[in-house]
Amino acid sequence: MTEALIVRGLDKTFSKPAVRELDLTVHPGELYALLGPNGAGKTTTLRMVAGLTKPDRGSISIFGVDALADPAGAKAITAWAPDEAMIYDRLTPLEYLEFVAGLWNVEPRHAKARALELLETLGLASEARRRCEGFSRGMKQKVALAGALIHDPRLLILDEPLTGLDAASARLVKDMLQARVDAGGTVILTTHILEVAERMADRIGIIAGGRLLAEGTLDALRSQAGQGGGDTLEDVFLQLTADGAPA
Amino acid sequence: MSLLRSGSIPWLLAHEMRLGFRALTGKRAMGGVGAMIGLAILALLMLTGGVIIGLAARRFDVPVIPLSAAVALACCATAFTLMLSQTLAAASEALYERGDLDLLFSSPIPPRTVLFVRALGVAAGVLTVFLIFVTPLLGPAVFLGHPEWLGLFGVLAALALLATATGLTLAMALFKLIGPRRTRTVAQVLAALTGAAFFLASQIRTIMGEKASESLFQSLARDAAEGRVTIPPIGYWPLKAMLGEPLPLLAMVAIGAGAFVLSALSLGKRFADAAAAAATQGAEASAAKPVKGRDRAFARGVFAATLAKEVRLILRDAALLSQVLLRVLYLVPTALILSRTAGHGDGGAALAGGAGVVVFLAGQVAGSLSWITLSAEESPDLLAVSPAATRSLRRAKLAAALLPVALLLAVPLAMLLWLAPVAALWTALGAGLSAWSCGLINVWHQKPGKRADFKRRRGASWFATLAEVVVSALLAGGAGLAVAGLASWALIPLAFAGLAMLALRRSDEQIAKVLRMA
Repeated sequence: MTEALIVRGLDKTFSKPAVRELDLTVHPGELYALLGPNGAGKTTTLRMVAGLTKPDRGSISIFGVDALADPAGAKAITAWAPDEAMIYDRLTPLEYLEFVAGLWNVEPRHAKARALELLETLGLASEARRRCEGFSRGMKQKVALAGALIHDPRLLILDEPLTGLDAASARLVKDMLQARVDAGGTVILTTHILEVAERMADRIGIIAGGRLLAEGTLDALRSQAGQGGGDTLEDVFLQLTADGAPA
Repeated sequence: MSLLRSGSIPWLLAHEMRLGFRALTGKRAMGGVGAMIGLAILALLMLTGGVIIGLAARRFDVPVIPLSAAVALACCATAFTLMLSQTLAAASEALYERGDLDLLFSSPIPPRTVLFVRALGVAAGVLTVFLIFVTPLLGPAVFLGHPEWLGLFGVLAALALLATATGLTLAMALFKLIGPRRTRTVAQVLAALTGAAFFLASQIRTIMGEKASESLFQSLARDAAEGRVTIPPIGYWPLKAMLGEPLPLLAMVAIGAGAFVLSALSLGKRFADAAAAAATQGAEASAAKPVKGRDRAFARGVFAATLAKEVRLILRDAALLSQVLLRVLYLVPTALILSRTAGHGDGGAALAGGAGVVVFLAGQVAGSLSWITLSAEESPDLLAVSPAATRSLRRAKLAAALLPVALLLAVPLAMLLWLAPVAALWTALGAGLSAWSCGLINVWHQKPGKRADFKRRRGASWFATLAEVVVSALLAGGAGLAVAGLASWALIPLAFAGLAMLALRRSDEQIAKVLRMA
């Protein structure tokens, strides 16, 4: 079986090391949550996977496509949605989706139907023809999420997808992601909301100081942390990151 | 700053100056050492020119006669319209650029103090621009026998204050009349029209076909020589003030300062209310007005989708409008004048000069638009994560920048083609080359920036801007020579332009490397 994402020996140093010797595997059809304290290297890792940051060393394979040797091939089956929505204030959601569909070369008729469907699902149908400039942060996040889904990516990479969303919107997005995973899609996300990872993720990776400290299901993490079975992910996370924190 | 009373005008002014200075030094807006050397050379050249003027004018006294009074009035009117263009744009932008406005208005500092300081900053900025050009040219004359010419600097200060007061009042009036959603666009367009007003007014007769190109100053000189210029006594004041006569100078400064203080203090509260209303204009605009247009199909592929996106963004950016529009307002009338000149059968220098100006301005407009589409991309990460080839994206962005230039020139050049086909072909070729070259320079020398920083782009990408000017000037020279019937001589500037482009060229890898480091 071809893994959705295989990362091996990934290294990135800016003024100081951001990611060190990182190995990561995400299976097809799973929701993988990458957790870590601020500055742990989560976003840098995801940016390297998305092709935005060039690693110093290591390899990245997305559904068997070498993302460093064939970036266009990897990007064609991937979507990236960061915490700051990558949208244009002066375009309407529909125009934005038209542009994104063009970038991924989606057939226009199919793209338009899909755009309308996504906007409907995300509760943005009535705003489809209004410019994004007056939108709330949450609405902009939803437009960006629609953009990430327009080409039906096999691997969806999300950095803090629930930032700025109200409770109803957050539920909507979580349901969408769950439905996507249930339908066989693969999602890798970072979040500071541990409850989201605890409830939704099939597997969780905990990263600190640029290194992967632990990985697995919540139960597996509990045993790695040496805690009792009744502890929350928060306890496990704090235990593991405290143990693994650089001196 | 601790020496100043907190919340007072000088205290706030010191705060503004500190922020302004840090913005200038922190962003290296002047473009580093190379830019400083370039500016120093330019200043030295201007200063040399100033010394020559000073020496030549040593024993020359400006006569107080109708012609010189009329010229002084015309100079004041030109300076005032140019200043008003800047202050109107700045005053309207001050309402929308949040910065620390919310913090200041939420503090106990009276709104009129905040506005007074902001307005003072606008006036100082406008005055500085003029002083940069006037000081090196006329400063030496002050030391070389004409100390009374210091009055000119007083007149400039008075005009800057008056222009700020007028700009502020106009912006607030617009806000009151047409509301926050339209004020920004209308003010920017008005600013551009005001900036070009003197040029347009001086050329209107030519554009309308009354006679071939003649400058306002030529016309003034002829009328004065024929004794047809009569100036009322008050019309001599600007001239006398420039020549340092105390009473007219004091009167002009008092008028400028009075209007400034009156408008800044009386509009303070309204400015605060307008700024608060402007803060919500995005939401209002979005809620009130869906984008019109028929329900059309999505664009197909990277090129079409990117082209559509860029054109939409250009058309919807009010803040950019005045900057580009100002160049357009010079370009289109010049092209029209060119065809009128050809229509009158006046070939030679006028036709060649007009062709050169059109070619130069086509490059400048294309350069501005290319910077917007290429360097001021708002979501570079979106493009970077897409599988779209960089070359396809660039081609679409370049096309979006060149398309408006082609559309603007289409009618005047078609007219010229009818009247003087050879001149039209050379002009079209030159304009096309100039626009394309300036676009390519912006591809090779991209420097990521924000659309909001468009006004400062000359500082941000100093090298590219200079290169644009040089290449479009060379091509303008070539086109002018060709139109004048000296096609073989035109090859010289054309060759230099080609060499410059070869020197400026950067490979994809080089562009990517620079962008990664930016």
